[in-house]
Amino acid sequence: MNTTPSVRRESKPLSRSQRRRRTFFLFVSPWLVGFILLTVFPLAFGLVISLTNYDGLNLFNLHFTGTKNYVTAFGDPNVQYTFGRTLFWAALNLPAWLILSFLLAVVANQKVRGIGIFRTLFYLPSVIPAVGLVWTWKILLEKNFGLLNAILDFFRPGTAVGWLTDQAMYGVTGMAVWNGLGAGMIIFLAGLQGVPDELVEAAQIDGANQGQVMWHITLPMMTPVIFYQLVMGLIGAFQQLTIPWLATTNASVSVPPRSVYLYMINVYQQIFGVGRFGYGMALLWLLIIVIFALTVLVFRTQRYWVFSEAEEQV
Amino acid sequence: MNTTFASLPPAGRARWPKYLKQFLTYSLMIVITLVIMTPVLWLLITALKKDVEYLSFPIKFLPAVPQWNNFVQVFAPKYHFLEHAGMTFYLAAVFSTLCVLSSALGGYAFARYQDVKASHALFGLVVAMIIIPSIVTIIPSFMIFAKIHLTGTYWPWILWGLAGSPYHIFLFRQFFLSFPKELEDAAEVDGCSPFSVFWRIFLPNASAALATSFILNFIWVWGDWLTPQIYLRADNTTLAVLINKVFTNPQGNLLTTLTVSAITIYTLPIVVIFFFSQKYILRGVVTSGLAGR
Repeated sequence: MNTTPSVRRESKPLSRSQRRRRTFFLFVSPWLVGFILLTVFPLAFGLVISLTNYDGLNLFNLHFTGTKNYVTAFGDPNVQYTFGRTLFWAALNLPAWLILSFLLAVVANQKVRGIGIFRTLFYLPSVIPAVGLVWTWKILLEKNFGLLNAILDFFRPGTAVGWLTDQAMYGVTGMAVWNGLGAGMIIFLAGLQGVPDELVEAAQIDGANQGQVMWHITLPMMTPVIFYQLVMGLIGAFQQLTIPWLATTNASVSVPPRSVYLYMINVYQQIFGVGRFGYGMALLWLLIIVIFALTVLVFRTQRYWVFSEAEEQV
Repeated sequence: MNTTFASLPPAGRARWPKYLKQFLTYSLMIVITLVIMTPVLWLLITALKKDVEYLSFPIKFLPAVPQWNNFVQVFAPKYHFLEHAGMTFYLAAVFSTLCVLSSALGGYAFARYQDVKASHALFGLVVAMIIIPSIVTIIPSFMIFAKIHLTGTYWPWILWGLAGSPYHIFLFRQFFLSFPKELEDAAEVDGCSPFSVFWRIFLPNASAALATSFILNFIWVWGDWLTPQIYLRADNTTLAVLINKVFTNPQGNLLTTLTVSAITIYTLPIVVIFFFSQKYILRGVVTSGLAGR
């Protein structure tokens, strides 16, 4: 391959490695071309737009405003608010989802007859599409006609919590966690089944009870899995849009309430609601930077708290 | 630790008879199942109510007479449910077929052409793209597609399908890595072209990966709300968008129980697909640690 430049393609047949190189690029070209045209180009286009005053109509009256959109974003109380709401969403969702799906995985890991049926049923909420999920929970959480308030009313008469209005953060968290349980469970289950039996047996011989085995062996062995779920969950929180949007809007409410006004909801509203394309693109690019920074940060600090067998042997 | 102590059975097992432990395990699992399934049961019950029954306060837990007719009403011509179900099926099938083939080809190249120098760097790019959420490209892409008048058509899905998806390329690469090297060597000796090695030897042996990828793609398009909401017109959009607002009475008020019946019909195919192909779906989830979205 290093000799490629000096070889005249017309005069000599291609060497084996050259042929393989050509085939490789031919085979990945659908993805590569698509990646350039459908990912890199839109992102770059978005970056350019974010430096302009584009509002969707003024393409012929466009002028560059430099970093004005970005400066505005940093001083925008709306952006600060939605950023805070998103962090709160993550702080509420991730622990609840991780702990519940871990417990579910422990239950689903029991070696009893018919466990497959239970696993299937536990996973079921995760296959329900977003619109189905939202409507399933709308009729559950509705303030006056929902099941949840009716049950709460039984214990504390007069209860009418606005799970999809002023308390929407908690209502939407409920449905998002329910939706994620199955997927979380399956991933933890794979992790649990990867814990070597001889480790558990050795601990039991040493007199450890089930709780100690869980705390000192299973959990440390699972830290890479938990870590990965945490990173993906954080990134997921910043792109959360469909579920909170659909859950809280209807014919009379066109924009989600403030309590669940997440970062991406604001971006969507700026672009498609108000038509501030340039500003929206700047917000989108800030999001990309945040996601990138989060990924790098968590991967860099990984070695301080994630168990790895190699280190343990030292 | 002395040996006599170690040979004793763990304390818990001696005290609990086996059948009692099993009984408790099953009771726990049944209780958890009921808690998890409550929203689904409530959905099915509500789908059988009259709208006035849903809108009564205090709530009525069960319908006086189950309104099976709701499920017939959903298909009334004025709501265009069946038409849009067909469109959604068509869009999902076309996109999934293209995406599966393109991703399989890419995944094959990344698995079997590792001797090509650029392959590792490019694969790093593929993995990085799994993390980048599609939402950050969908919005700027919309402006581009709008400029070339492809919004309101299914062309964006065809182009996205042709480009494959990083997640599915990853899936196929992992799968094709496990094939023995002799397989392609033998084919090459027999004079197979590189493409026919892929098409006639590897692909027919990849039915498990093909099924996983197709099903995950299909479920994705069937369930996606945001992309059709942004890109498509009201008359050619998918069910996800249609169901949200189409079921209204002549005064324009939303009919909740009819919507919920439609949601049941809309979700049912996905649940059925899941029941019959869960090993494929769950493999996809475990391979990436993602729910395939």
